[in-house]
Amino acid sequence: MKKHRTRTSGAFLLRHLLLLTFLVITAYPLLWMVLAAFRLEGDAQLRPLALPAPWTWQNFAQVFTSGSFGDAYLNSLMLCSGSVLLSIALAAPAAFAFAQCRFRGRHALFMLFLLGMMIPVHVTLIPLNRLLGNGALNLKGSLWALVGPYVGFALPITMLILRGAFAALPRDLLDAGRIDGCSTWGIFRHIAMPIARPALATVVIFNFLTMWNEFAFALTLLGPGQTTIPLALSQFKGEHDVQITLVSAALSLVVIPLLIVYVFAQKHIIRGLTAGAVKE
Amino acid sequence: MSHRRYTPYLFILPALAMYALFVVLPIADSLRMSLLHWSSPLLPPEFCGLDNFRRLMSDSVFWHAAWHNLLLLTGSLLLQLPLAMAIALLLHQRTIARGLFRTAFFAPMMMPTAAIAVLWQYLYEPESGLLSSVIRCWQSDFVFPWLSDPGSALLWIFVTICWQYTGFHMVLYLAGLSTIPNDYYEAARIDGANEWQICWHIALPALRPTIAISATLSIIGSLKYFDLIYLMGGGLPEKSREVMATYIYRLAFEQNQGRYGYGSAAAVCLFVLALAVVIPLQARQLRTAS
Repeated sequence: MKKHRTRTSGAFLLRHLLLLTFLVITAYPLLWMVLAAFRLEGDAQLRPLALPAPWTWQNFAQVFTSGSFGDAYLNSLMLCSGSVLLSIALAAPAAFAFAQCRFRGRHALFMLFLLGMMIPVHVTLIPLNRLLGNGALNLKGSLWALVGPYVGFALPITMLILRGAFAALPRDLLDAGRIDGCSTWGIFRHIAMPIARPALATVVIFNFLTMWNEFAFALTLLGPGQTTIPLALSQFKGEHDVQITLVSAALSLVVIPLLIVYVFAQKHIIRGLTAGAVKE
Repeated sequence: MSHRRYTPYLFILPALAMYALFVVLPIADSLRMSLLHWSSPLLPPEFCGLDNFRRLMSDSVFWHAAWHNLLLLTGSLLLQLPLAMAIALLLHQRTIARGLFRTAFFAPMMMPTAAIAVLWQYLYEPESGLLSSVIRCWQSDFVFPWLSDPGSALLWIFVTICWQYTGFHMVLYLAGLSTIPNDYYEAARIDGANEWQICWHIALPALRPTIAISATLSIIGSLKYFDLIYLMGGGLPEKSREVMATYIYRLAFEQNQGRYGYGSAAAVCLFVLALAVVIPLQARQLRTAS
């Protein structure tokens, strides 16, 4: 018995040692980035592994004054909130119909929507550039150009998550609404939507982050002078390539707010990311 | 639920219109453009049948790009997923600060991929980057051009991919492990099974559905690589830097290219490949989900 116990505690130690190793591999690059943001340029070249000496705020100040990060933050904020609202306004009624109504073609239609989750968006870069650039909708270079693609490609996952929530609504409640004289729209609006609030929170947070982090469409469809956070970051890297400290400050300004959001919204984010997968 | 016959269609119509305009129609437009000879946005396009596809089949950059997608996928399936599962198995047992580990491992998933690309370009800086600096602790003159070495750059990019996604797959496996009733473990322990045997004979079989999900996501995801490759592969020769999505982008939008027809043909190949992969993998899921 005693021998058994010492062996388990050895395993216990080894397990934590391995986990700590992975923790260092995951977290150290981020720590290194934040430290680099507080260095002077020469310090970063000569002693990249030591603590900053001296510590300085000047990189952050310079990012704010020289880069277009103020605009980028504002752009991303407007673009993503608008697109999230629109994607839910469109997807929620459809998800309700798919969950609660029987009608011809519902299987085929739902499958058509689901496919959008699995196709690489890059297939549509060239035609969307034509449609939004010089085709019917001349939006090239304006932020509006991104709303359509963002909403279009957010619809499948939004519908999948919301349909799950609407399908779980208690039947009695819907019947009660019907007896009280609610229309289908009334039931959706006044009974289903309030109950589905947790799922709505998941969709809002998840879609917002997906759009916030999107790169390929922004790169293709935005003209000069317009930018979003990921695009601004890659451009900033291009312009200040040799100044590790400056780019690290910009990176920190992008990443740290996201990590803070993550700590509070972890549950929703993980649920959103696994929703496409965990459907037996 | 009772309703008028056309009511559900009214509920779906707005979403369908948006989806048709920005997802379905562009894909159809790609099919059309892939049949056009259109080598510059300034010239009028001409119909050329399947000529673009014929040229694509003998385009070695395209084949290299597809090969890179396949290599990254193989790496994910053979290295990343087992690693994620191993970490999940370690973390699933009684662990100090378990929440902290879980939160930290998943954190890279929160970053924009563009930010990961920028960060890792500095980690891979030949002289003053984190990796070279750490190795210099043992080997004082170490300098290595990680991301501009055509032979190994893809491997280093793959390391970054693992850094980004391993935590996500680990969360999937943790969720799978949490569905195994505790009785199973206890019964096995009473029967005298050691930790290895428990992993092998109880956890692994129970994880089979999770493995299927995580592999499916890796396979679908492997065709979607763009941001990381586009941003990190800039210093490489053409043949060693592309995956399919970046090649499409470069053909159409990079300086002096504007090859919409040829780029669309490459896009159609990617689309067909995605369908060919998704339909058999997801057939059951699509059927049960709808």
